[in-house]
Amino acid sequence: MEHIVTESANRPAPEATALSGAEWQKRLEKIAADPRMSEENTTISSASVRKLAVPFLFAGLVGLIVTIIGGFTVSPEHALASFEVGLFTSLAIALGGMFWVMVFHSLNAGWSITLRRQFENLGAVIWFPAVILILIAILEVIYSQSHHEGILLKWLNHQEYNHLLHVKEPYLNAGFLIFRVLIYAAAWIIISRCFLGWSRRMDETGDRRLGRKSRRVAGFAIPVFALTTTFAAFDYLMSPDYRFFSTMWGVYYFASCGLAGVSAVAIIAYFLRRAGKLEGLVTSEHYHDLGKLVFAFTVFWAYISFSQYFLIWYSNIPEETAWFYNRQEHGYQWLFILMIWGHFLVPFLLLIWRRTKRTMGLLAIMGSFMILMVIMDMVWILRPMVDFANPSEGGSAIANIWLDIAGVVGALGLFAGLVALKIAKGPLLPLKDPMLHEALKHKNYV
Amino acid sequence: MSMFTTITNAAADYFPMLLHKSSPRFVTASGKPVYGIVAEFDETPKVFKAAQHVRDAGYTRWDVHSPFPIHDMEEAMGIKGTKLPLMAGAAAIAGVATAAALQWGTSFVLYPTVVQGKPFEAWQPFVPIMFELGVLFTAFMCIFGMLALNGLPRWHHPLFSHDRFMRVGNDRFFIVIEATDPDFDPAKVKKLLEDAGGKHITLLEDAD
Repeated sequence: MEHIVTESANRPAPEATALSGAEWQKRLEKIAADPRMSEENTTISSASVRKLAVPFLFAGLVGLIVTIIGGFTVSPEHALASFEVGLFTSLAIALGGMFWVMVFHSLNAGWSITLRRQFENLGAVIWFPAVILILIAILEVIYSQSHHEGILLKWLNHQEYNHLLHVKEPYLNAGFLIFRVLIYAAAWIIISRCFLGWSRRMDETGDRRLGRKSRRVAGFAIPVFALTTTFAAFDYLMSPDYRFFSTMWGVYYFASCGLAGVSAVAIIAYFLRRAGKLEGLVTSEHYHDLGKLVFAFTVFWAYISFSQYFLIWYSNIPEETAWFYNRQEHGYQWLFILMIWGHFLVPFLLLIWRRTKRTMGLLAIMGSFMILMVIMDMVWILRPMVDFANPSEGGSAIANIWLDIAGVVGALGLFAGLVALKIAKGPLLPLKDPMLHEALKHKNYV
Repeated sequence: MSMFTTITNAAADYFPMLLHKSSPRFVTASGKPVYGIVAEFDETPKVFKAAQHVRDAGYTRWDVHSPFPIHDMEEAMGIKGTKLPLMAGAAAIAGVATAAALQWGTSFVLYPTVVQGKPFEAWQPFVPIMFELGVLFTAFMCIFGMLALNGLPRWHHPLFSHDRFMRVGNDRFFIVIEATDPDFDPAKVKKLLEDAGGKHITLLEDAD
């Protein structure tokens, strides 16, 4: 007996899309003929970008050198804490860019296509903070061999018996730390390079199945992103005070990531529009939606950080409250108040206005302000650990403040310079994305 | 017609024993007040162009009725932004202030109470209530403010006495210019709607 297997005529071929190949080519031609999609409007010369990138890179290098000098003259704790403040702000921006790209893909977002390349660029520069994180982990481990404690990670190679550290030993040990950091860095670099790579390949080939592929991969990459971000925040931002623990810590840092990512794109888009690029492609309608995301994540950050603080305040367990107690004295109480007013109340009232979100200049100012607030948040998290370790240094938030400024400028300057160079490397938007036609006529009907 | 008379007339529907409507500018042969003039359109682009036409003629008290939302119609009609966000913002501030006053006043000023050994002046426990009352007041203002600005609820609307208007739920579009418009002149309005391409132009009586 012979079995004849036939494919059902109605069954779609794998990877099939709703548009036929001819219809897709027709749409691509129509988009390419749009005057807004001219090459002059969608690319930026590396010469004009270099005018901005070189000063950034120079400032970053000077900051880095000053930080290293500070590490020898003031204290290694202070120098590393200041540099990590800038580094974790950069990492938040890069992770935010990566996160938003995955969200846009998985939700099939139409409005964001003309801005998505900037998110992808931010994400693709994640190699810089990721590699530095590996170097810091190695530095801490080497330092701990001779000092019996890490620079900021005091639990590294701890010699005296400490019951808490004994219990936490399976997680808090040098080998596993290095292993974890390598995993984070690999995951971030692979994910961000994949999305930028597919998006760029689509520019050349117009292969719309790559859009579908990105969408499918994004769904799997988001949990990877969530876990790596959470544990990176545990390792570098929470474990310096190894007695403290908060299960909300990961989402607390993630709130800064989402906020810093959109804020950075608002600033980049402003500079691009001022350079006469993306005319008619990024309009006040796109700005309105970016502004909504900045607003949403300002509120989300406030919600998360208050919930964390509120639960710890109410339950009043010593090992948790001590962390907040250290951050409400020696001048850090002013940072605490600045977080309430500057990171939430004032931006909330400013961003709730429609005009703030729709005016490019105003939104760029708000974006810069929010990134400044993310920096202050990181200062508030990391900087008290220096006084904690070195009470002799003065025990004050503004002791040797030049070193704090140098550290932040060092990390953020280098990151900003690398982002600027990345922007010039390709078209300023995905030229042949399957959803581009939606972004071209995007409008907020509210 | 001033804002004040508009509000008084609307309130007169609910409290006829207290308030009387101001006498209408136009009355029909039967002595009933004129509500306005309605024109019918059968295609979206036609009603869209007609709306731009009416907007450019400078009318302010008029409306477009359609079975579905038409994109950019607010621009074609020249509708200004609503006052509702400001009202909601005021309600939010009132809600937060009420919550703060209620909690702080009772547990710190009137009857200082130690709860779980926390200090009297602690602001932390008040925040959730301040947030929730702020949200509650804002939500109430959004719903009830929206209804009030729309003149709802109401028992009847003069347009319902126009039989052709029933097709607004199906496949017809209507433009109504109300008699309360300061520029209202029956002859001119009819001419304008005719020029704009309206059909079945009818003068409607107010039910009164």
